Amino acid sequence: MSAPLSTVDIKARHRAAEILRKRFLEVIEAIMRGEEPRLVIPKRTLSNTIFDDERMLLLLGPDKFERSFLDMREARKFMQTVLMASIIFEALINNEYPTIRDLYYRGKHTIRYRDHRGRIREENTWDEQQESDSVLRDVEVYTGLLREDMLILSKEKGKVVGDMRIRSGDDVIDLSKMGHGAYAIEPTPDLIEFIDVNAEFVLVVEKDAVFQQLHRAGFWKKYRAILITSAGQPDRATRRFVRRLNEELGLPVYILTDADPYGWYIYSVFRIGSITLSYESERLATPNAKFIGVSMTDIFGDPETGKKPYLTEAERRNFIIKAKKTDIKRAKELMNYKWFQTPKWKKEIGIFLRKQSKLEIEALTGKGLKFLMDVYLPTKLKTGDFIG
Amino acid sequence: MSKTAEKFRSISPAEFFYRNKEIAGFSNPARALYQTVRELVENALDATDAHGILPDIQVVIERDPNKPIVYRVSVKDNGIGIPPQYVPDAFGRVLFSSKYVLRQTRGMFGLGAKMVVLYSQITVGEPIEVVTSPINSRRIYAFKLLIDVRENKPIVLYRASWRKESDWHGTYVKVAVEGDWGRSKSKILEYIQRTAIITPYANIYFKDPEGRVRIYRRVTTKIPPPPRETKPHPHGIDLEMLKLMIKSSDASTLQEFLEKEFQGIGKVTAGRFLRSIGLDPSRSLASLTRKDIERLAEALRSYKDFRPPRADHLSPIGSEIIKIGLSAILKPEFVDAVTRKPAVYGGHAFIVEVGIAYGGAIQPSDSPILLRFANKIPLLYDERSDVAWKVVSENIDWGYYGIQFPAPLAVLVHICSTKIPYKGVGKESIADVPVIEQEIENGVRQVARSLKSYLARKKREEEMARRVVTIIKYIPDIARSLSVFTRASEPKIPSEELEARLFEIVKSKVGVAPSIKSPRDVVISVE
Repeated sequence: MSAPLSTVDIKARHRAAEILRKRFLEVIEAIMRGEEPRLVIPKRTLSNTIFDDERMLLLLGPDKFERSFLDMREARKFMQTVLMASIIFEALINNEYPTIRDLYYRGKHTIRYRDHRGRIREENTWDEQQESDSVLRDVEVYTGLLREDMLILSKEKGKVVGDMRIRSGDDVIDLSKMGHGAYAIEPTPDLIEFIDVNAEFVLVVEKDAVFQQLHRAGFWKKYRAILITSAGQPDRATRRFVRRLNEELGLPVYILTDADPYGWYIYSVFRIGSITLSYESERLATPNAKFIGVSMTDIFGDPETGKKPYLTEAERRNFIIKAKKTDIKRAKELMNYKWFQTPKWKKEIGIFLRKQSKLEIEALTGKGLKFLMDVYLPTKLKTGDFIG
Repeated sequence: MSKTAEKFRSISPAEFFYRNKEIAGFSNPARALYQTVRELVENALDATDAHGILPDIQVVIERDPNKPIVYRVSVKDNGIGIPPQYVPDAFGRVLFSSKYVLRQTRGMFGLGAKMVVLYSQITVGEPIEVVTSPINSRRIYAFKLLIDVRENKPIVLYRASWRKESDWHGTYVKVAVEGDWGRSKSKILEYIQRTAIITPYANIYFKDPEGRVRIYRRVTTKIPPPPRETKPHPHGIDLEMLKLMIKSSDASTLQEFLEKEFQGIGKVTAGRFLRSIGLDPSRSLASLTRKDIERLAEALRSYKDFRPPRADHLSPIGSEIIKIGLSAILKPEFVDAVTRKPAVYGGHAFIVEVGIAYGGAIQPSDSPILLRFANKIPLLYDERSDVAWKVVSENIDWGYYGIQFPAPLAVLVHICSTKIPYKGVGKESIADVPVIEQEIENGVRQVARSLKSYLARKKREEEMARRVVTIIKYIPDIARSLSVFTRASEPKIPSEELEARLFEIVKSKVGVAPSIKSPRDVVISVE
């Protein structure tokens, strides 16, 4: 670490380290009092994931479990949890930015011991990264600190361009001057400072390729948009960044995905949160995000509202892909989620199940990039044809 | 039946056995060598422990250097010895016996030794050598004997005696027989080993024809009380025996005869019994007709009002000695034994003893290793037809006692009685007498329950130990991790202190085996 740390960074470090220290001092104090050491951790299970109707968020429920050191089934996890916390703590005070892979390697070592029959045995503190990742999540929920708060890095996946200036570290970056490239959204989006912005809305595109096409065609300039791609399932940084744009700058957020259950779920993760990581929704989800398309009514029209389809009969024949069994299964699962039980979503999923058809965004660019950029998207935005 | 018996008596008993050597266990050279060892060892033990002497037994089998099928078996003991005047008859006259009394001994009337002599005579023809010195005698007596088969009497070829220089007393017997060591080796070794199990108070020295010496050292000086002589119980009498008893009795009247020769019959009972079958108590013994004797035998066996047979003359080994024997020879991790209360079958008192040994040096097998004994004699042949086998293999569901085969399990069953109900003439297995079967089963269940609770306790303790290790092995890592949080602020708590505290918590809340004094007794440094 030759370069001096930015002030936001130092502040974030101190805050996270202090919270970690406090939480684990509780355990140390219990030990010094001769009490059984235990960690009370919110449960990260589906049954403890609740949907907050009012705030439209998937949240961690109130259920907690006790991880006691003296409980034979939990002893190993207990060791792993304090091990993970200590590694993170050390990294914070040493001004380091570990990745989750680094955490895995730093904590991994062999415990050699004599079993109850006197045989020498060996056991690793953890074997797979899955194990260390799992206790990292436990540390997150136990301390209420997300990994970004603890300055743990992950692979950058999301990209952004637009007429906007931000401060990252001690540099000011102009997101309108990225050439053909784009700014990779950093894994610690809370350390980004928004300087100024000149845009009316945010468009998130699931597909990286479509993002690039729209970027080169100057979509964001022409329509005063911040253009973002999640490149598939959004990572936490992209979700947090989108959330901040919406919350702090008041920009409406529209999400463009494939017309299939996986596209819908990507939208759902942006908006509601994910089930496996429900504890982070409060900070990552964007409840106001709208699903702009591609929707089933875009493909087939809607006789009820008199909406005309964007595709002709012939185009449909060419572009539509037959839904697979797994798509159907996934769609039926989504129907069970409360936030997919609105009239519009019911209609959407209903058409899908009837037609058993799906469509990729690229089908629209197949009709010509101009069609996507200058017909489809502006029309949808102007007429308010999206699902909220 | 009586006719046949009389016909048998018309030839000499020696000749009878000579012609029927199979029934006494001399059917082939291998079996004969085994039987020879067995008979001589049993006589040696009877001469010692039955008289309260801790046995020192020396068994040597040598192969004749010129005639490979000829073996010389010698057995030396430190027993009471044999008065010199009785030696020729003791080894050279079949059915030599002075009195019809019953006593629980290994052999009966010393018949076995005479069979050995007969067999030796048929196969090799050398005389038997006997050296003996009765207890308290100052002399040693030596004999060389053969049996005159037709006349059923001993032929003494050599007789000598000399002053004793040492304080030895006992008997030394050496006999040459045709044998087959190769085929009898495993049985003989097994016999010696099982004898060692049942007589852990003996020193047994055994040298085999290959020159290999096995020594089973005395591991206890406890010795079962010697069996005492007793009179027969009326329920256990048969016609032949009754006739012989009448013949040898010096009682004059019937009532006196019953009173003197039987257990469980007093004056009043004798009178009442005799009147109930219409015989005059004062009638003279000599005047009894064959019909009267038959009626008497029948009634003696069935009359209900005799006192039950007494068992105080029996000599069980005792659960202590059984446990010591099993432990010393099998080296198991668990052992238990029980001596049942005396019970009665057909007029004979008997006692069942059961031992159990588990784990340790015992090799796992698909069924329990059954160690059968009758009056302290190991029974090695015909296992599958023995009532004890039926009990351990059919009656008992070992799964109920927590045993899954293959398992390292040995069960010892000892029956002692003045009359063992052998199956067949080979005397190698015990008949399915229901009351005996029940006694064995109860005994086996008793020790199996004790094994079951041992296994359950062991499992619990092991589970506990496993649990503790599972927790303790993480202590150093947890202590090191937690101490990191105190490094940057006061008070600093070193890892070693947290380690000690955590260990104390485990000790007080879970319990730790005393062998573990710190987490470092479990966790081995990898660095």
